[in-house]
Amino acid sequence: MTLTKLDRRAVLKGIAGASLALPVLDAMGDDIAEQVPRRFCALYTANGMSLPKSEHGIDEWNFFPQIEGKDFVFGKSTEPLSPFRQQVSFLGGLHHPNGSKADPHICSDMWLTGAPLHNPKPGQFNSVGLDQVIAKHTKQFCRQPSLVLSIDAGVGFLSRTGTISYDTEGRPIPAENNPRRVFDRLFQGDRASLLSQRETIRRRIKLVDAVLDNTRRLNQRLGKSDRQKMDEYLASLSEIESRLIASEKWADIPLKQQDHSHLNLDATNEGEPHEYYRNMFDLIALAFDADITRSVTFMLNREDGMGISDTFPLKLGLTRTHHNLSHAGDKEGQLQFAKYDRFLAEQLAHFFGRLQEYQDRDGSVLDNSIVMFGSGASTTHYPKNLPTLIAGGANMGLKHGVHWRSGDTRMSNVHLSILHSMGIEENSFADSTGVLQDSIFSHV
Amino acid sequence: MSSPLSFSSAWLFTMIMAAVAHAGFPEDPTFKQDVQPLLKTYCVRCHNANEMESGVRVDHLDGTFPDRNLALWKGIRRQLVSESMPPEDEIQPTAQQRKLFADWIEQSLAEALSRKRDNNGTIRRLTVSQYRNTLADLLGLKEDLTGVLPPDGLSKDGFANNGQTLLLSPLLVESYFDIAEKALNLCIVDESTPPVIQTFRMDLGQAINKEPCPDELILGANSLLLANQDFVVTELKPKKSFEFVPFSMQKEFRFIEGYQGNDTVRGWRDFHGIYHAVFACMRGNEGYPKGKAYETVAEGLLLRPAIPSAELFGVESTYGPRANFKVSLRELPDHGNFRVIVKAARYNDGLLLDPGAASQPANSDGAITVDGLNRPQTVTIERPGIYQADVYLNSIEEPIVDPDGQSVAKPQSLALTIGDRGFSGTLNQPAFLVVRLPAGALPIEARYGGDATPARIVFTPLDADQTVSQRFAAFEKRSPLLGVHLGLRRDCGSTLNQVGKAQEVTGGEISEYVFEGAINNFPSPDQTTNFNYLTGFHEIGVRSEFTDGRDMPRLLIRSVEFEGPFYDQWPPATHRGILIESDNQDNPEAYASEVIEAFASRAFRRPVTGEEQATLLDIWRASFDQTQDFQQSIKDALLVVLTSPQFLFLIEASSGPEDELLDPYELASKLSYFLWNSAPDDRLLELAATDSLHESLDIEISRMIADSRFQQFIEQFASQWLQLDKFDVVEIDRSRYPTLTRDTRTHLRQESARTLNYLIQQNLPLRHLVQSDLILANDVVASYYGLGDKTESGFEFVPVEHGDANLGGILSQASILAGLSDGRESNPVKRGAWLARKIIAEPPDDPPPNVPQISDEDPTLTLREKLEVHRNQKGCVNCHSGIDPWGLPFEVFDAGGLFKHDVNVDASSTLPDKTEVRDLNELKAYFADDRLDRVAFSFLKHLTSYATGRTLSFYETAQLEEQALALRLHDYRMQDLIRFVVQSDMFLKK
Repeated sequence: MTLTKLDRRAVLKGIAGASLALPVLDAMGDDIAEQVPRRFCALYTANGMSLPKSEHGIDEWNFFPQIEGKDFVFGKSTEPLSPFRQQVSFLGGLHHPNGSKADPHICSDMWLTGAPLHNPKPGQFNSVGLDQVIAKHTKQFCRQPSLVLSIDAGVGFLSRTGTISYDTEGRPIPAENNPRRVFDRLFQGDRASLLSQRETIRRRIKLVDAVLDNTRRLNQRLGKSDRQKMDEYLASLSEIESRLIASEKWADIPLKQQDHSHLNLDATNEGEPHEYYRNMFDLIALAFDADITRSVTFMLNREDGMGISDTFPLKLGLTRTHHNLSHAGDKEGQLQFAKYDRFLAEQLAHFFGRLQEYQDRDGSVLDNSIVMFGSGASTTHYPKNLPTLIAGGANMGLKHGVHWRSGDTRMSNVHLSILHSMGIEENSFADSTGVLQDSIFSHV
Repeated sequence: MSSPLSFSSAWLFTMIMAAVAHAGFPEDPTFKQDVQPLLKTYCVRCHNANEMESGVRVDHLDGTFPDRNLALWKGIRRQLVSESMPPEDEIQPTAQQRKLFADWIEQSLAEALSRKRDNNGTIRRLTVSQYRNTLADLLGLKEDLTGVLPPDGLSKDGFANNGQTLLLSPLLVESYFDIAEKALNLCIVDESTPPVIQTFRMDLGQAINKEPCPDELILGANSLLLANQDFVVTELKPKKSFEFVPFSMQKEFRFIEGYQGNDTVRGWRDFHGIYHAVFACMRGNEGYPKGKAYETVAEGLLLRPAIPSAELFGVESTYGPRANFKVSLRELPDHGNFRVIVKAARYNDGLLLDPGAASQPANSDGAITVDGLNRPQTVTIERPGIYQADVYLNSIEEPIVDPDGQSVAKPQSLALTIGDRGFSGTLNQPAFLVVRLPAGALPIEARYGGDATPARIVFTPLDADQTVSQRFAAFEKRSPLLGVHLGLRRDCGSTLNQVGKAQEVTGGEISEYVFEGAINNFPSPDQTTNFNYLTGFHEIGVRSEFTDGRDMPRLLIRSVEFEGPFYDQWPPATHRGILIESDNQDNPEAYASEVIEAFASRAFRRPVTGEEQATLLDIWRASFDQTQDFQQSIKDALLVVLTSPQFLFLIEASSGPEDELLDPYELASKLSYFLWNSAPDDRLLELAATDSLHESLDIEISRMIADSRFQQFIEQFASQWLQLDKFDVVEIDRSRYPTLTRDTRTHLRQESARTLNYLIQQNLPLRHLVQSDLILANDVVASYYGLGDKTESGFEFVPVEHGDANLGGILSQASILAGLSDGRESNPVKRGAWLARKIIAEPPDDPPPNVPQISDEDPTLTLREKLEVHRNQKGCVNCHSGIDPWGLPFEVFDAGGLFKHDVNVDASSTLPDKTEVRDLNELKAYFADDRLDRVAFSFLKHLTSYATGRTLSFYETAQLEEQALALRLHDYRMQDLIRFVVQSDMFLKK
């Protein structure tokens, strides 16, 4: 990205003086203003989803529809999503090849990374996740590179992770779990910290400028030397400077006016599960609508009976905890597990509704967001045929309304397909072998 | 994915580059008259701008020989001479036409190659490893901040330091800014605020804690904690020459999640005391093949070598090695260096005898029988020395194992106490222990299988010439290797990195062993808020390191002490190195100027120029005027230094296309980045300052080779020249190669570099690279090759006379042979192509497009047959005739890099010059005797390319080949080769 429309110094001057007229985005230049937001949201549920044994005769409670292709029928556990039939697809047969090699409890650690956790490099654990690759490319267009949410705050601990987001060095990114804290961080952004953040950026701009000057002067002294490397360096410095200037402006651009009255910021994970998830999803939808961030992860619950979400089924009147239900082999237990999936599908339906309600310049926020919902195991601890549902992204070429499967497919190929759909032309992701062919992704 | 056939070579690349005709060279009349018609008739139909068969076009060739077309012409000539082109089913030129065409190319090439190249200096950025080393040398900072940098790409020659492949991107440059900022913040401290320092010690020993934690401690599944009364944790206040604040660990906790049975439990609970903050943990793989993995005794904790898991996950449990002692704790500092002091000794140990060991004959001379063991007994030893203890369970001479090896009763564990020493292990048969006994009275106690007592124990003195005494003598001389590891605890194991190197514990007396590192170079639990009792743990692992399973006296750990951040002075050396002593400290501007000048001159590896100094001082002044903060403004100026091309780039400025000598500072940098992979030291810069470096080169090279930084060259060069990265990533089939474990691989990985280093340090002839009586091995490597009885060096690599007809030289090193396989089968194509490229610098051509994979051929054929079928296909023969003959002799070695010992292996090969060899040994002899010049040339070509950071031109390569012959007179001694490179025009001129 380069800021050709506005002179950099003019921008600086504008900020130093009176505040800029609105809409600032439009004044900043077409390349930002006309950039259609492309967003990504990953929603994770632990311990697998309902794939009941056929002997129980409750196949209609299977996460995967019984029919493949366009004529699929929603099962009972995903039925709440049927109003969004043309915005969602089921993807079957997915797996991480590294999944079956590692401790089964670390499937959530690798869901977005595909890393060889069974044999990591010495001292390393994970590798970068899909959401953070996306954030790396989208951060220059929005206020926050990414938003990392989870049912429990922090990072949990390795192999029983409390976050599904891993940075470029493979380190876990701590998650937020409290709606009020999330709201304050996203929408209240206290003035002092904004200003100090801007001060940091301004200092950096000055220093980049100084290095640019120094480099140019050195370049002149280099006589007849081959200057290709110096030119590359100068180009990189200029690019960084433009990016910094783009980041710096956020402090002075007011947030989009939004209605926040439906939020109940007192909801916590200790209260009603429904109320908690609704508010967390509303916050994500608002963050997308205001273009505060374009990359979100939300871990809805944790593996192996960790954390508070394990008790949610009990709160909903079911008789066992989430982890115990996932291990159930009996008909009643499997039915209950499926009913909990249905509860999650209801929350998702609410979320998709919000995303569809909010409008971008060209269609709904849902049309400009790829939402991936799934688990790192199918039935408990079984890392094949990962239950996966992808929604939204019509403006990024996603063609929905299908139950797609094509033998065994690498999850990393889905990740790569998402990157390409978003216009991020990485050659590969983790252990990917290519993009999905003849699938829901038409822009790969 | 690279197929086994996707070889690269210089000339395909050049052919693509050659797509545009080059002007400015005189045309040759012969071309128009004789050559162009041939091209038009036989070549252009397939190789034109539209068709470009195999990616080659020749329609644009005009008979001139610009540099970019040289490789293409060379390729055409090769196709002509080998009669590979035109294809069989096309019309063919006459033999005469072929000859005319080929001779004309050869002659024109020779003329072209003798042309002088333009020389316009070079500018290349530091590689990631050079940047890391340079930053560390400049700042004295142990913390590695460069992990965020993407790895450097490799050039066609395989080198990371090639100026053409060292790309720059905004992401990379942004990282330079971030790293510089972090580094300066770490180096420069607020000297007026006393540092907070965490210091504690864990003492170990049976029942040493008189006030043990009253709670039952549990730390998750299989937590395997030491008994509460066997360790004491004390927070300390060390003596320091400066004021500091001792850190006090949290001791009051409230957690909602915990652990019980096999489930997590919920509910808020309070915990109190330091023993809920610091644990003594032995969790690891269970079972120890011989003796108990660990034991607490009065003097401390006894550890046997920590046998690592074959892999981290999957094969065994994920809990880590056997005998895996760790201090598990909730808090460690988040910055700075740390120091771990272990008080340890070599235990005065006995050798547990293996199953099947024989008892000493009854009534041997001097034998002492002890019975009545249901209560403590005392024996008197008159003759001190080595004794064997045979333990009998009842009065009848009944063996525990009958003569058929059938167990009569399941062997139980025997705990034998001799004096104040304890020995326990499974009693497989009466022969139990060999031990050195002192003269005098010795209390003896014994317990078998819990509460039972054996009937009697016979101590028989051994003669020195008995096999078992010799084994004991060797055992007794060995020293356990003390290793410290730091990292985090997972619920299913640990992620730890080793702190420095393992240290030999030679003495029987308790001594201090110090380990140091920077805390952020080690994994940390990244915990923010935490309500789970089991999470967020750091671990300090202390082990007796496992080598190859040879019997080893146990390691006695008395205590483990931690201090961090560790400072020996305040403000620390990193701070003083930047904010230097000066009389001008009260005058901000004058002081800033001094600080900046000193720092920039070191960072730029030459005196900072007046103009640069003025620019930097301006930055300081602007910042200082705005903030009035001296430190901040200094950091601003220094950050610009650390992100400027003068620091990040190696610049050889040129004033024109003619050759010029490097200026002395450029030479100092070139030399140090070549031989040290880091910045020049003070001495090199002093020599540059007095312009005497050129004449001191010989002395300096010797000094630099002897310096420890030379190992940074060895690591880089060996790894890149020999492509050892292949060995890092190959997935070994563990069922076929069970001894090629994760740990063994890390040792084998070092063999090539250690070999190269030894040959250079000893200035041995190059011949040793391909054929040698020596290998460089430590106990692990020697053991892998079946030579374990020839070393007693622990982890240290030493020269070993291998006495094995199939070993010696890099061609038979496991890291190379296994790296050039798929982890299952040996692969002559990969090995052959590697040899052609790396050892004799005759790189094969790239495969033409759409070549079928060898694996697609008929599966019933042997590999040799598959290769033949493949080779006989159109388009394959040309490359493979330069690959397969070199690879087939390697067939005597399997994919694990070990000799196959299979008489049916056919490793014979007809080399391109028609020499017949039967196996790798004959191939080695062929190189050592007949083709040594070529091997030397290849080594020199790679070395020069690495030293200069660029691919050599044809002209330079030809010159090199010719001039290198002079070195033959002295057997191509390794240091001579390095000197030759440094003294060459390619290195000295720009």
